[in-house]
Amino acid sequence: MRSSLRHAPKAFRTARPVACGAIGAPWLQHTRRQPPSRKLSTTTPTYHNPSSPTSSSVNETEISHFSALASSWWDPHGPSRPLHLMNPLRHDFIQACLSAPSTTSPTTPQPDPNALRYLDVGCGGGIFAESAARLPTTASVTAIDPSPTILTVARAHAKRDPSLGGGKLTYLSETIESLALPAAPADRFDVVSVFEVVEHVDYPAAFLDRVGEFVRPGGWLVLSTIARTWTSWLTTNLVAEDILGVVPKGTHDWYKYINEEELRAHFAGKGGVWGTPRAMGVVFVPGFGWKEVRGSEKIGNYFLGVQRVG
Amino acid sequence: MNTAIRRRSAYVCRSCTQSLQRQLRRTYASATAQPDIYDVVCVGGGPAGLSLLTALRANPVTAHLRIALVEAQDLAKTKSWKLPPNKFSNRCSSLTPSSASFLDQIGAWSHLERDRVQAYQEMQVWDGVTGARIEFDWAPGAAPAAGTTIAYMNENLNLTSGLLKRIEELGGVSVFDNAKVEKIAYGEETEDVDLREWPVVHLSGGKQLSARLLVGADGANSPVRSFAGIEARGWDYNRHGVVATLEMEGEGWGGEHLKTAYQRFLPTGPVAMLPLPGNHCTLVWSTTPTNASRLKSLSAKDFIATVNAAFRLSPTDLEYMHTQESGQAEEYSWRLEHTPLDYRTIPQTAVGVQEGTVASFPLKLRHADTYIAERVALVGDAAHTIHPLAGQGLNQGQGDVQSLAKAIEYAVGHGQDIGVTMALEPYASERYAANHLLLGVCDKLHKLYSVGSGPLVPLRSVGLNAVNALGPLKSFFMNQAAGNGIKVF
Repeated sequence: MRSSLRHAPKAFRTARPVACGAIGAPWLQHTRRQPPSRKLSTTTPTYHNPSSPTSSSVNETEISHFSALASSWWDPHGPSRPLHLMNPLRHDFIQACLSAPSTTSPTTPQPDPNALRYLDVGCGGGIFAESAARLPTTASVTAIDPSPTILTVARAHAKRDPSLGGGKLTYLSETIESLALPAAPADRFDVVSVFEVVEHVDYPAAFLDRVGEFVRPGGWLVLSTIARTWTSWLTTNLVAEDILGVVPKGTHDWYKYINEEELRAHFAGKGGVWGTPRAMGVVFVPGFGWKEVRGSEKIGNYFLGVQRVG
Repeated sequence: MNTAIRRRSAYVCRSCTQSLQRQLRRTYASATAQPDIYDVVCVGGGPAGLSLLTALRANPVTAHLRIALVEAQDLAKTKSWKLPPNKFSNRCSSLTPSSASFLDQIGAWSHLERDRVQAYQEMQVWDGVTGARIEFDWAPGAAPAAGTTIAYMNENLNLTSGLLKRIEELGGVSVFDNAKVEKIAYGEETEDVDLREWPVVHLSGGKQLSARLLVGADGANSPVRSFAGIEARGWDYNRHGVVATLEMEGEGWGGEHLKTAYQRFLPTGPVAMLPLPGNHCTLVWSTTPTNASRLKSLSAKDFIATVNAAFRLSPTDLEYMHTQESGQAEEYSWRLEHTPLDYRTIPQTAVGVQEGTVASFPLKLRHADTYIAERVALVGDAAHTIHPLAGQGLNQGQGDVQSLAKAIEYAVGHGQDIGVTMALEPYASERYAANHLLLGVCDKLHKLYSVGSGPLVPLRSVGLNAVNALGPLKSFFMNQAAGNGIKVF
């Protein structure tokens, strides 16, 4: 595994020179010179884009890419179909996390399983946010995305379902950095979801640190992303985007993918704030949909959930 | 599934509906009635529609959906349906053990009048032209653990009445019966909600029902299917199914506990004698429209004679009897004397026909292009109409309902909108191919056995005889018929 990965960057440089060059993150340039063993930086990077005054995890190229996809976000046969198909598995994974034995201290109050409060970071058109809000066990869903274009789509779509009215689902045009952090830890969120987002941000370590602050003690940070392996390059970049075209071209930058062990190391390095992560690997089977495959978290798409214990 | 998901509030929040209802009351005079919002609006209160609603209400995951049922007939009459023990309705269906177990699972089976349901354990199927025969009896040791019942004969009204009783017991279904669907149109956009993709069912009298999911359980000429713009393709067989409730000379050769279903393939179509409780049977005879109208015009005595002839005499004899305006009874009795018979392989003699039960309906094959559209699902006859020769029509509908209820349960448990095609896709993909295969097999069987002479005739006899000789293969077929075998699709 390791030795084959060392050879990877050269091959990918020739395969995707434009995509790599288009993203100017210094952190990423560093990675490009190195074998793709991605250490998640623990310091907040200085912001490099002079047009934006505050520090942000948001990459402008990524925003414009997803804004362009806004109109087709809810088309079940459009480019977001794989995301629609994946959505039920997100709930299965969250259920698995919530029903796992809690690793907090016995005195920590636990989330009410029948009145869960969700924060969905990078909600896009609201595929997950809407579905979470529909569950009878949900008290509220706050969904944020930096793209106002996409939020317009999300709000218009939510309006088509009367059960989503009445304040249960709130969309905010915010980044995780600009979102106000509830002062009392107990007022923070039971479930903070970051689905298919970390592979699109420039400084994932700083991003995850900030996201983690919104998780209440006893709550769960749940994310999904793609491991950086030969297989994932082949399937998500070459086959899905370039050959089959089931995922819009330019959606994924392989260099930004994060491996499961890198995330584990990240959370383990936070001095006992986080419990031991749970992971679930999933594989897309064309014509069928997503399927859980044990061990595939090391290879391609995977979910990772971690409970805030401190 | 986490049990926590199974509780709590309705899918459409009560307050939304209540506020809409308040608006409705307030604006009643101004005649712009606001539609009532439902999660499921089912048009059609037949076996498929009622089973679906029962399944949804009986399942804790889906029990909180707001459900409406729209039916043209008076359901109070159906629910209180009652016949004396020696009278049976002429519209009966065969329920496979898998359909029966589904009905049991949703709590409806116990609401049927069980002494009116007749299980049968054996089948005799033979070719009227060549006499080749397949005997569906259980070889020692070959009977499945689930029991030797191949299927249950049951009056359709017993089923719908039982389902209505179960729905009443469960509660929570808004029933609009004696209701005519005036039109189905799309909703409107207001400041708060955008229902432009929600079907709205307009009932006579002005009532309007908005549907997150509109279920078409409204039969072969489904208005819901037309609304969704889904074509149903197929052909007419130019055959009619003649039904009647018959009184037999006894309870059958095997007595009360070993009942047999009989089916003979005649060149004009199959004729079937299916056991009901006691010495009663139900007749399903597929034949030409001319023969059907002749049969309906006969006196009871001549009708019974022609039915007995259909299981005993040669197709040529029978063809002649169909040309007679009357006198079939005499014709039958002298022709029978010259026909060698193994009486054990044919049904007992019919001795009477229940008055008013001889009826007929045209046979056709139809299959909808798809079962789903945005916020629409079709089940039962709205989706497919099959030749009755295998007695699978109602069972196909039950299979549809079981599958759709499962898809809805999954969607609710995962926060999906149950009306969108993404949520309904599992239903369509699970049922379409299965139904299509069965429609095709029954159609081919009909066509194969409609041939009276020529090279096909000896070939098909080889088929029937060979199957009868091959024990394991036969058990497999029987298990398929009973729905407890290995699923091939």
